[in-house]
Amino acid sequence: MSVFAQSWTLLWLNLRKDWLKILVWLLVLAGVFIAVAAKFESIYGTPEQIKTISDTLMTPAMVSLFGVTPTGVTLNTGIVFASEMMVFWAILMIIFNYSLALGASRIPEENGITELVRGGYPVGRLAPLTAAALELTVVNGLFTIITALGVSATGMPGIDPAGNWLFALVLGLVGWAFGLIALIFAQLVADSRTAGIYNYLFFGIVYLIRMVTDIKNPDYTWWSPMGWVEKAEIYTYNHWTPVWLFLILGIVAFGIAARLNVTRDLGAGLIHIRSGKKTSHFLRGPLSLLWQLHGVSSLLWLVGLFIFGAMYGAVFNSIGKIANTTPMIQKLLGSGGLQHLATQQLLSFVGILGMIFALVAVLGGTMVLNHLFNDERAGYLALIQTRAISRTKLFWAYTLYSLVFTAILLWAGLMGTMVAGNAVLTHTLAYHYFNDVFISMVAVALLFVALNAAFIGLAPKFHGIVWIWLMLSFFISYFGKIMNLPDWSLNFSAFNWLNQAPLHDLNMTHFISVLLVAVVLLIGGYIGYQKRDLQER
Amino acid sequence: MQQTNMIEIKHLQKKFGKFEALKDINFELGTGEVLGFIGPNGAGKSTTIRTILGLIKASAGSVSVFGKDAWTDAVAIHRQLAYVPGDVYLWPNLTGGQTIDMLLHMSQQKHSQRTDQLIKAFALDTGKKNRTYSKGNRQKVALIAALSTDVPLYIFDEPTSGLDPLNEVIFQEQVHALKAQGKSILLSSHILSEVEKMGDRIVIIRAGEIIESGSLDSMRHLTRSQVSVETTQPLAQLTQIAGVHQVTFGNATQTKAEFGADTEALNTIMTYLAQQHIVTLKTTPPTLEDMFLRYYDAKDTQKAGVDL
Repeated sequence: MSVFAQSWTLLWLNLRKDWLKILVWLLVLAGVFIAVAAKFESIYGTPEQIKTISDTLMTPAMVSLFGVTPTGVTLNTGIVFASEMMVFWAILMIIFNYSLALGASRIPEENGITELVRGGYPVGRLAPLTAAALELTVVNGLFTIITALGVSATGMPGIDPAGNWLFALVLGLVGWAFGLIALIFAQLVADSRTAGIYNYLFFGIVYLIRMVTDIKNPDYTWWSPMGWVEKAEIYTYNHWTPVWLFLILGIVAFGIAARLNVTRDLGAGLIHIRSGKKTSHFLRGPLSLLWQLHGVSSLLWLVGLFIFGAMYGAVFNSIGKIANTTPMIQKLLGSGGLQHLATQQLLSFVGILGMIFALVAVLGGTMVLNHLFNDERAGYLALIQTRAISRTKLFWAYTLYSLVFTAILLWAGLMGTMVAGNAVLTHTLAYHYFNDVFISMVAVALLFVALNAAFIGLAPKFHGIVWIWLMLSFFISYFGKIMNLPDWSLNFSAFNWLNQAPLHDLNMTHFISVLLVAVVLLIGGYIGYQKRDLQER
Repeated sequence: MQQTNMIEIKHLQKKFGKFEALKDINFELGTGEVLGFIGPNGAGKSTTIRTILGLIKASAGSVSVFGKDAWTDAVAIHRQLAYVPGDVYLWPNLTGGQTIDMLLHMSQQKHSQRTDQLIKAFALDTGKKNRTYSKGNRQKVALIAALSTDVPLYIFDEPTSGLDPLNEVIFQEQVHALKAQGKSILLSSHILSEVEKMGDRIVIIRAGEIIESGSLDSMRHLTRSQVSVETTQPLAQLTQIAGVHQVTFGNATQTKAEFGADTEALNTIMTYLAQQHIVTLKTTPPTLEDMFLRYYDAKDTQKAGVDL
């Protein structure tokens, strides 16, 4: 089998290259998971506590975010834990595996490392791809073992050994299978950036299918590989079907990736790169360049976020329904009171959506902004920086584009929700609610973008800190209430500084402070960018 | 005041953390001059050029271009110069043609007839995406953009490292044409012969210091070809000819020899070799390495009191 020659050697090289990344991710993914498990009994130990949280988890709004909580069984701490963690952790596993898969396939090929290895040494044609698949297997295997042992050690009430292993295995396998699917996309296009976009597009689609089917009819959730994780029904029934499904999906995905890999040239993608215009009157400076390079993907992001918002809006009639309404309560509240309660519930959900859209908007905006640094390091900017383009112009072109883009993205998500939501609701929600959410969340989103700009100007090496804080903020805001995180920790999340809308008035002091800090960060970044050396490739 | 020097560098130092990339750089580029800037890899050529371009800030000393400070007046300076980096990296998703036009626009220039001529001369397919170009083709994109920019000063950092010999010749012709128009050119290279063909003057950098500068003629003593020859008649008198150095005979009959030959003595040497009936002859042009070796030889001779 000479096409696989030296796969193990390449696996070893991959692991040596990625060991720090793997270690950090495993520490976070397995470590936080086990830590939550260890603490869970103190949060949801008593039947009353379980009753309270399960009532919350069974509302359609929470189902859309966390997946389905089993009904018709006696809930215990373990089942609540599984219900809260499964979907969110699956998302994290997928993000991690995407990063690993691209880092072992398209990125080294783009850098020329694959050519060196394949061309200069007796290494099989399929060895790099096989090594990537093996790396995914090893890393997810490690996650599975650590997590299963760790959760077993916590002795949480309601857990059982089979469930612990199944839980960890399903999480490992969802990451593994999506990582292998990422290897297919890595064969299609020649650049890692586009391959990454395809990956997340695929993920977005299967996530939305899971979300909508979970709310409308969970039987259809089988249609989304993302939804399979819920079907294991950990600690309730411990179904093993998802395990076999993920194994089949992963093996088929690798087969397709391998088939595609042998039919294409090294360094090329299957989708051919078209020729373009021989001249350009349009490209005149940094802004037109940004539009040329990122315009189409910016529009795709906008449409994508609008649809993302609209999918949530489309289930508003289900989310607006009040769960567990007895005739007694209906009588007490009257139809007006019931309607008021439903609206309150929806508006609170719009507030959560605003935060989710803000997260996505920041991701979209900072991706463009990071090109100011990445293109500098890649050597692209050297040519235009030695033309009559000042650093001032360059910095503000990228920064303003990102700030405006982030704001529009957030708005597009909220508008998608409003348009689709009001189409299905009998009592529609007024525009001003969405506007209130936009105003408060845009300040937070711009703060993150401004912080990123400050890093690019002052300490570009450390701009990854922005992502860490962004993810931490999101995690705290998303899980804060249902995990009873202490109040002091909630303040670490920038989203929580301004999460009063739309049910309450905006905290003006917070709002103005956040904007002021953002402005200071932008100016700091600008001054830094003026003064620092430009990096050489 | 009449501006005579395009670039003036005085006591330039550049440190990256503790590492001293440039220790003491002094040189100037006069108006209408072609200055060859040579040195081995890692000597500090690109760092010096990046300082001239205001991409990085000098740790000490002064760099002025057109009499303006390279760091503070970078944009004004850039309006008057064109630059080709040693390693050209281009936005993968633009075509070569789009890149050229954009770069011209950014210097307030237009895609001219000259641009078209250059595209034709270098035989570049401008409709292709930069991603698909080879190193040489990317270099062509940068060269065409720079050469069709009408400015008084051109800076080339190892511009032909990816070009084939045919395109190298085209580049050299273009430099000659620019020179004829009275443009000033800074040409960095680690290939001595390239600089030799085009430069009026040479500056040699080594380990962050300028170790030699002057006209090519004044450095003839540093350019010595390596000759390897076989003749039918013995080459006994070879050692007596002025300009022949370090003779080693390949056999006892002295019909095979290897030696170093000063460029100015080549004619005399060849006449003698021809008289001895040449069977095979190979001459190797001086490499930069040889030149450095010669340089240190020369230094020692100087110490010994012999005037260069």
